[in-house]
Amino acid sequence: MSAEEMGRLANRTRLIFAVSSVAFLAVLAISPFKDFRREWKQQKRSYLRFAQGRPDTKKLLADYRPDIDQIWLPGMNVVDRCTTCHQGITQASLAGQAVPQPFRAHPPIPHHVRDWGCTVCHRGQGPATEVAEAHESTLAWEQPILPTRFIQASCGTCHYANLPQTPQLTRGRELLAELNCQGCHRLPGIDRPAMLGPDLTNVGTKVSREWIYKWLKEPRTIVDKDGNVTVDGYETEEEPRMPKFRLTETELRGLSAYLSVQKAKPLGPYKIDARIVAAWSKNPELISQGELRFRQMFCSTCHSLAVTRAGETKLIGGDIGPELTKVGSKVNSDWLIAWLRDPRGYLPHTRMPRYGWSDEDLYKVTQYITTKLTDSDLLTGVPQLGQPTEQDIQLGHRLFLEKGCASCHSIEGLNPQKDFGPDLSALGGKNASELEFGAAKIPHNLVAYVQAKLQDPASVNAAARMPQYNWNQSDLDAITTALLSMKGPPATSALQNLVVPRKEAVFQPMGSFGEVYERYKCATCHKFNGYGGDLAPDLSYEGSRAQRQWLEDFLKNPQTLRPTLISRMPQFNMTDKDAATLADYLTMVLQHPDANPASVDVKQFTPAMAELGKQLYEVKYQCQSCHTIGGTGGYVGPNLNNAGGWLTPAWIEAWLRNPQALVPDTIEPRRNFTEDEVKALTAYLITLRQSIKPQKTASNTGSHVSVGGEGQ
Amino acid sequence: MTVRRWIATLLLVVLAGASACRHQVENTKPDPLLTVYDTEADWTDAQRIIPLSYQQAQGKRIFYQQCVWCHADATPAGPSNRSNLTPVPPLLNDGAALNAASAESLDNIVTLGGAAIGKSAMMPPYGRMLSAEEIRSVIAFARAIAQPPYNAPARAGSP
Repeated sequence: MSAEEMGRLANRTRLIFAVSSVAFLAVLAISPFKDFRREWKQQKRSYLRFAQGRPDTKKLLADYRPDIDQIWLPGMNVVDRCTTCHQGITQASLAGQAVPQPFRAHPPIPHHVRDWGCTVCHRGQGPATEVAEAHESTLAWEQPILPTRFIQASCGTCHYANLPQTPQLTRGRELLAELNCQGCHRLPGIDRPAMLGPDLTNVGTKVSREWIYKWLKEPRTIVDKDGNVTVDGYETEEEPRMPKFRLTETELRGLSAYLSVQKAKPLGPYKIDARIVAAWSKNPELISQGELRFRQMFCSTCHSLAVTRAGETKLIGGDIGPELTKVGSKVNSDWLIAWLRDPRGYLPHTRMPRYGWSDEDLYKVTQYITTKLTDSDLLTGVPQLGQPTEQDIQLGHRLFLEKGCASCHSIEGLNPQKDFGPDLSALGGKNASELEFGAAKIPHNLVAYVQAKLQDPASVNAAARMPQYNWNQSDLDAITTALLSMKGPPATSALQNLVVPRKEAVFQPMGSFGEVYERYKCATCHKFNGYGGDLAPDLSYEGSRAQRQWLEDFLKNPQTLRPTLISRMPQFNMTDKDAATLADYLTMVLQHPDANPASVDVKQFTPAMAELGKQLYEVKYQCQSCHTIGGTGGYVGPNLNNAGGWLTPAWIEAWLRNPQALVPDTIEPRRNFTEDEVKALTAYLITLRQSIKPQKTASNTGSHVSVGGEGQ
Repeated sequence: MTVRRWIATLLLVVLAGASACRHQVENTKPDPLLTVYDTEADWTDAQRIIPLSYQQAQGKRIFYQQCVWCHADATPAGPSNRSNLTPVPPLLNDGAALNAASAESLDNIVTLGGAAIGKSAMMPPYGRMLSAEEIRSVIAFARAIAQPPYNAPARAGSP
């Protein structure tokens, strides 16, 4: 190699070296530049500029640091760096929509962000330092932020007890219980209702094979494109509990055959006194009298009927029992008589009370139901099924178990399966990768999955056994919230200590009261110590509230005490003995410690005090804005026409001092009465009397609109 | 030319480095109602859905338990007690009547009752029944549904 060549090579090498050095420096420079441009650092700088442009800069920047800010709560597994960008989260002056995100203050809530972090409620990735990774489901991390509409789910992961602040979650849990989701799924903390679907041991004596076929094919419900649920052509807001199974023609034939031969334990037939039948069967008044009795017994408190008024057809009545518009075309009339006489004889867990029927009433009402509440077109479109064949019955028997019917309906001698569907106790914590989306065109995240599955189970899994329910949007959201709240048992012991357990409410009295309480199904509508329905007033402290004689009279002839409510307490035709048993127990046992009727001596109340009390009632406190006396006054509270005959003086006094101590959810505001005012008002109220003795009137004969709102 | 080749290589490296700086994640627009705690349909226009924050939603809950009976024309039980009272209580969304009142004066009338501030004694005091926070949340709900809409006074440091 010549010297010239050597020199050229050296020059070339030098050039390569020089260029490489520049390139190397440039690459090195990228790193600090990249660091400078990091998302969270940009946010930090823009917060700085934002705060400097506001009048309270000093306060906003009091604990500003240009670093990553994190909330570290080792006991709860929380490492939340959200406050790195959401820097104004605790600054009261940054509240409101006008402040741009991510700097807006957190709206006031019961938990402070410094004590709880963010991801405990909002989910998402706490340690992430990029916007997308923190909020959304990316490849590395799978828990997206929980949409605020379902945020109550996070309350429910620790608060197993129902909170007043989370009505959506509470509604969702109620739906899970009411629809008996735990018939198939494991759902911890949800009550399994005593009344599942009806027991079918004897269903063949109640309905025909054709009716079963139609019911299974189309359980009466249709949802129009606006999401309105229609039952038998009448719009309703209530979700019928029987969902729609996607059954083939063969399956429908099999199941209807199997069920129509279930006649193992027929109800004892009841013959109505022949003299009554002879006296009434030809009477033109028979049906209208039956309808009158149907109304007078307040069947519509629990059952609805379709009523057409001014061209508009609506279901009117309660939703505790089934809708009855076409029941006359559904059930066998012998069954109907036996059922009405003794509902528990057919369904041990029914919520239907046992009325004290006279043969005459029973005859009139059953004639009304089987003549008027009918629809000759009910079974149109159902093929002639004929006598069930042995093959059909065998198929139906197999399907009854396979389709999960046995999870809700019992048939004597058939063992229901346990945990038929997937365990949902940790559904709320599942990652998208653990879910099967099938061909469904929905976003791949848990919320979308849960909603798609609830709306149309076949959309995510064509082979799903889960039947189809009809939800309106608010119920769908509520049940989604309740399901998302189920994240399984807390991972760490520190979290276990945070769990607020749910108290189980039971009220099952024994003895003769227990027997009467069961017969009239008091807990279907009334609450006792937290257990029971909420259609009617809470009776936990009824013994302190009502006088014994009033209770006895009321039970025999119930009347409403509230002007806005249409009377709903059924006429049970209670015997004197039953009324006395109930009144005795209520008076003796269901007492509040702060209102002992024996502790107040009525002799202390003088007419002068009563006169003062009247003044206070009418002028100073204007109680008439909510309560009615003698036809004038408001509609909100109960009328006080008979306050002196109804309430005990001890209850009135305790109530005036603190109504919420006696009935926690009452809407009567707690006042600041002096002790003299309490005595004067009590003295006045106990002078108010009106007889509630039974009187035959035709006043309760209109259609009864069932309305909400209870409590005292 | 060799130098040009090197410069080209250098440029490529820089470009590659720069492109690695950021990887864009697709941003899909979520349903706006997914990001709110609760909603209330505008009383005067049921099609308009008003988003509610946690606090306003608590106010809504308390309103429908305690206040709806006299401060709305329809109640969960059907008829309203409003027409039954003289003077007729304002509807809760009545911006013309309530927007001008400060949060403090509304707080006072709910807490102390009408009689205490020289108005109708038909409005009972709620100070011993509802907490201060609950009363604030009811006022926040009234502000949220007000028609004409309520505009908060522009004052730094006021929530």
